[in-house]
Amino acid sequence: MNKIIHMGQLVPLSKEMKLFELIDGYPQLLSIFSRLDIKLPFGDISVEEMCEREGFDAELFMMLCNMHLEPEHRPVDKDLRVEMLGGVVAYLRSSHRYYTGYMLPHVAQHLERVLEHCDALSQRVLRSFYDDYVGFLASHFDEEERDIFSLIDNIATSLDANFSMLEAPHGDIDDRTNDIASLVIKSLPERVPTALRCSLLDHIYMLRDDLRRHSVVEMMLLRPLVAKFQNSVQR
Amino acid sequence: MKRVRVAIIEPSRIVAEGIEAILGRSAEYDVVCNVRTVAEYHARRGGDVDVVLVALQYACEELGSVFKIGIQTSLTEADLMRQVSSIVSLYSTEEEIFKALGESVDAPVATNFSDSHELSERERDVLVLVAKGHTNKEIATKLFISPHTVISHRKNIVHKTGIRSVAGLTVYAVLNKLIDSEQL
Repeated sequence: MNKIIHMGQLVPLSKEMKLFELIDGYPQLLSIFSRLDIKLPFGDISVEEMCEREGFDAELFMMLCNMHLEPEHRPVDKDLRVEMLGGVVAYLRSSHRYYTGYMLPHVAQHLERVLEHCDALSQRVLRSFYDDYVGFLASHFDEEERDIFSLIDNIATSLDANFSMLEAPHGDIDDRTNDIASLVIKSLPERVPTALRCSLLDHIYMLRDDLRRHSVVEMMLLRPLVAKFQNSVQR
Repeated sequence: MKRVRVAIIEPSRIVAEGIEAILGRSAEYDVVCNVRTVAEYHARRGGDVDVVLVALQYACEELGSVFKIGIQTSLTEADLMRQVSSIVSLYSTEEEIFKALGESVDAPVATNFSDSHELSERERDVLVLVAKGHTNKEIATKLFISPHTVISHRKNIVHKTGIRSVAGLTVYAVLNKLIDSEQL
């Protein structure tokens, strides 16, 4: 359980805490605010007040924060409510946009800086490898949005839909992200300045870890919520 | 020096004991298991074997991640011969038997990675063919090795380079000047 120092004591994260305390304690959560496009400034409001203002389920928001901070964190089944389904899909959709519109272009920018120190052939193959990787992710996201999210949007009319794709492993994505990191570490020429190489690696690993968390949210939140919804209607 | 642990799986006791007697003349090899069937081999040994000298008729059976040398005592189908990394026959000389075993010492075994992250010459050959888009079977034919050995080389390549995808391995081959753009 992730904790925070509040009034001199270490306490678990809660929706009652001030938003400032949450961000000040865990600035890495800012990317959640960014992808959900939560409006600033917050003023001196609590997490719950912010969620109310944004129309986002506060309990779900705390689950996402805890899963973001602690990849092993698993929400308790009894805390999952079918009303959270729309929020989870909104979060996953906004994450797709965050990857394609922010993280992947950011890695590309850092890659370009590194490529300036490589010969023409290396530039060509690495650029093409990265472009293929971006295309591969984009088509995976498109597939999820088309085959899963749109069905969930209309779940009341697609109760018999098969959501087995949610159980498909994301190993390919992880492998390909790790491949980029391995090439940067092991195969780029020595003349590439260390600072540029490390900065690129920082962004690749941030992307890899975020994609892993994304997959955990699909498995541990989306999948059980879909099952819960289907069961509740069938009963 | 650590001795190479050898298992012999051969239904003919005369052949099996003959091979064991030859290996006994070298301090490099330790015959840890000499059995007539694969079932006996699994019953007797755990994973502590480096090389298996196996009768070719058993070559398709699951022996785990070990270097396999076939023992040919009769005419054998080509498919079975492809399951092993090299072959010794009833007519092999002592030198030929030690040569086949010697190759196993430097050969890749999937679960026994060397500490070095440098690719061996053979691994580079396999990598180049992977980068050019050849299948394991095609690589085995081109390099005159078994598909099992190709798979072992590929596992070692992944372990040493940290790269799993064929596209990534192709980039690795180009960046490390193992292949030029015209060959792609």
